[in-house]
Amino acid sequence: MHSEAVTRLDSAVSEVFETMLERSCNPMEGEVDTVEGRIVARIQFTGAVDGECLLYASPATASVTAEALLGTPSEPCDPMVADAVGELCNMIAGGWKSKLASHESSCLISVPAVTREGLEGYQPRFGTKFSRNYSFQGNVFGVVLAF
Amino acid sequence: MRALIVDDSAVMRKVIERALSQAGLELTEVLQASNGEEGLQALRQSASAPVSLIMSDINMPVMDGLQFVETLRKENLAVGVPVVMITTENNETFVLRAIAAGAQSYICKPFTAEQVKARVLPLLRVA
Repeated sequence: MHSEAVTRLDSAVSEVFETMLERSCNPMEGEVDTVEGRIVARIQFTGAVDGECLLYASPATASVTAEALLGTPSEPCDPMVADAVGELCNMIAGGWKSKLASHESSCLISVPAVTREGLEGYQPRFGTKFSRNYSFQGNVFGVVLAF
Repeated sequence: MRALIVDDSAVMRKVIERALSQAGLELTEVLQASNGEEGLQALRQSASAPVSLIMSDINMPVMDGLQFVETLRKENLAVGVPVVMITTENNETFVLRAIAAGAQSYICKPFTAEQVKARVLPLLRVA
């Protein structure tokens, strides 16, 4: 079950990056630093699957992501940058959910909640949790799925 | 032409506007709303200069896209204006509800500008 969830996640991330950002994005090994200041977006699932998806990135990576989406540069402190991280999390979570078996995919997803407080102290409330890191053009971000 | 884009993400509203321009639409003005309630307000306030196209997300706070489209029909707002839902929700229940509520088409996120063009242009030729 774990490897299927990872495969679905990798596929969802790849689709979002190749379709919306026109860039390839690949899983990478190793840890992504979760120090303070990381922009973190959280989406919650409720229904057939209860859980959450978090996406976290440095302000610099988030800024590059916003630029790729919008076609114009943004300063890391720009509210649009946090919005871009939230929207990325939204599309990845939605894409992952759409790949679930039909009886599992009938769950609602929340609007994204975005903070700039990093992931320190994050404790998932769900039994299964896995983290995955991704890299696009040398920029790294992490995704946590818990359900 | 004037368009209304309804999405709680300012980034996504810009992305959709950009996709519409890339599709060849000459947008003279784009009204923006961050939820269905704001979308309804924007339409009521622009009755003298109506929009020709509405693009709406489904999953939004305050008033979601399905309620927005259902209210459009109840209040006879934007009669005859094509409504396209753009959303991550691609399960059949949401699609059927959106169509039943009065939306003419549906695009899943993530999307390309070409996909937007393919869904939107035919609706504008018919409208």
